[in-house]
Amino acid sequence: MKRKLNWESIVRSKVFWAVVAGALILLIAVIVRPDFLKIEYNEVTGMLYGVPIDILNRSAEIIIIAMGMTLVIALGGTDLSVGALVAVSGALALKFLRWDVLIYNTPGNYTVMPFYLVILVPLVACTLMGAFNGLLISRLKLQPIIATLILMVAGRGIAQIATNGKQFTTMYTPYQFIAQGHVLWLPLPIIIAAVVLISIALFTRKTSFGMFVESVGVNPNASRVSGLKSNRIIMIAYMLTGFLSGIAGLIYSSRISSCDSNNAGVNNEMDAILAVVIGGTSMSGGKFSLAGTVVGALIMRTIITLVYFFGIVSEAILAFEAVIIAVVIVLQSEPVRKAMAKRGHKKVTGGVVRA
Amino acid sequence: MLKAETKRQGLFSRLFNPKFVMVYATLGIFLVIYLFGALMYGSKGFTSIRTFTLMFIDNAYVGISAMGMTMVLITGGIDLSVAAVASLTGMFIAYGTSVLGLDPVACMVFSLLVGTGLGLLMGATIHCLNVPPFITTLTGMFLARGVCSLISRESISISHPTIDALAGWKIYLMRLVDGEWVKIKPVAYINFNVLLMIFMVIVGIVLLQWTRFGRNVYAIGGSEQSAKLMGLPVGRTKILVYGFNGFCSALAGIAYVLYVKSGWNLALAGGELDVISSAVIGGVLLTGGVGYPIGTLLGVMLKSTIPALITFNGNLNSWWAKIATGVLLLLFIVIQRIVVNYSARKKAK
Repeated sequence: MKRKLNWESIVRSKVFWAVVAGALILLIAVIVRPDFLKIEYNEVTGMLYGVPIDILNRSAEIIIIAMGMTLVIALGGTDLSVGALVAVSGALALKFLRWDVLIYNTPGNYTVMPFYLVILVPLVACTLMGAFNGLLISRLKLQPIIATLILMVAGRGIAQIATNGKQFTTMYTPYQFIAQGHVLWLPLPIIIAAVVLISIALFTRKTSFGMFVESVGVNPNASRVSGLKSNRIIMIAYMLTGFLSGIAGLIYSSRISSCDSNNAGVNNEMDAILAVVIGGTSMSGGKFSLAGTVVGALIMRTIITLVYFFGIVSEAILAFEAVIIAVVIVLQSEPVRKAMAKRGHKKVTGGVVRA
Repeated sequence: MLKAETKRQGLFSRLFNPKFVMVYATLGIFLVIYLFGALMYGSKGFTSIRTFTLMFIDNAYVGISAMGMTMVLITGGIDLSVAAVASLTGMFIAYGTSVLGLDPVACMVFSLLVGTGLGLLMGATIHCLNVPPFITTLTGMFLARGVCSLISRESISISHPTIDALAGWKIYLMRLVDGEWVKIKPVAYINFNVLLMIFMVIVGIVLLQWTRFGRNVYAIGGSEQSAKLMGLPVGRTKILVYGFNGFCSALAGIAYVLYVKSGWNLALAGGELDVISSAVIGGVLLTGGVGYPIGTLLGVMLKSTIPALITFNGNLNSWWAKIATGVLLLLFIVIQRIVVNYSARKKAK
């Protein structure tokens, strides 16, 4: 990652504006609520508490999904099915935990199927669904939006049918630990998100995979001609996104100790795409920034948390999110950045690659 | 050379032009599914005119919105905000008439203006700021949904004479028996929404097929760069297309209000997917440049037969409708793929 660190290139980069926007929002938050950034250590439970921890905890699912989404978007695609996959993953996990729900109605601290199956089967199923998306896009050359729309529509139906339209609840401690447990003073979802972030970062930046993704995203034909196996790269990216949605689904269903196929992962695809775009990855493919994506996801969650403080109903948060996203998007848009970074002698080439 | 080839095309080859194949495929599959329903549940009244008109009545708002969506998709864009705008319209009308005591017609005009304005704004953002349509309209969707919830979280029911009159207005289908007009049995009728949908379909067809504006829309979808170089008003056309779509969404919202007679902030959640998938099933290519309003209408009809079949079956979980829609989508985009490949190969020859 050799990048010239002059002021011009910083101002022109989209990540910079995302960070500025995030800092502004945090500033407003601190002015409104001086204790916004306070973190407390509780000696009895040995855990950290505070709004920042809560923001990190709550944004874990979106961060995890958005990691895969970053790669998919860098390839010039989109994955709309992630929200449905979150529902499928939770539904399958609860199905395996509570196979006996027809006989015993009360949830208890037990599991019917072995615990490794409870974790493994949803993840494998989601990876396979990701592979289905990847197959349609790489082999049949379908447009990503429409190819993933299939599972977005059908996925929720599959999740409902897996649980027969019922909402299962579980009290199985190891399963609840996934989202409600604590490791190293922090909630486990934060740790999972961090592990995912680090592994994806290593996978993309320490191997040539990340460069291949960017290359295919810029020009699939040129990449194929120069010897890259575009199809395989696309397959891996979509399978990875499916797998990560599966993890997010497990976390979500563990958070609420049940599966809610109607509401699990609703709008997750939109949130993840927005996180990626706010983070500076262009929708038309090319260079991507995992750190930017994390910043994007955190910005969104911070807005939500901030708006809660004003006592506004949760559904109305979308309006505030929309306004702030609009501001970020306008700041990041081509003409505005061009105008801001105008230096006269340097001609802007107008490509998205440069961003 | 080129001219000679055009001349040789007779009526047959013009009708079987590959660009119409998708419409025929939609029509064919609709007929197959309808025939299947007729064979299985014909005795229960699946083939009755009543069932047929009910399919229109239940899906009129999808059809209205799908006309605007067809146009947007033909330019190569996408609009995710349609359902949210429709829901916002419902909220405006419900809140305006029931809480503020305003005239419903004024509320309708206001919401049509808001819908069109939001559409124009999104179109301008997409064109002038070069923001991808997906992101822009997603933001529009969030905004509309958010404002809905700001107005009210509760469902507001509407009882106003004007709304009741519009919603209750229906034309019964009649039959001539012994020189006298009688209602056909089982009673079938079409209502204001269906007329509105038919009107919008006609508007869509006229705009797209017989006006300069429509040809510009197809040109932009084919290649925006070429359209620009040809000197076509790309920016104006794109902004107007999104404005028209906003108008259609608001109109769909009005139709939905007349259908359910209430406003709810979460109404039509995920409705944008219904609209988009109807258009895709109807043969509109998401890459732009290809699509016909009549195909979209067929897509809406095809999509509405599936829930009808599931209702007639009575044993199936209603969630199978979702899976069936997914399978249909898969089927259609694979057919599209084959058609596109075929015509590309033909062109290469």
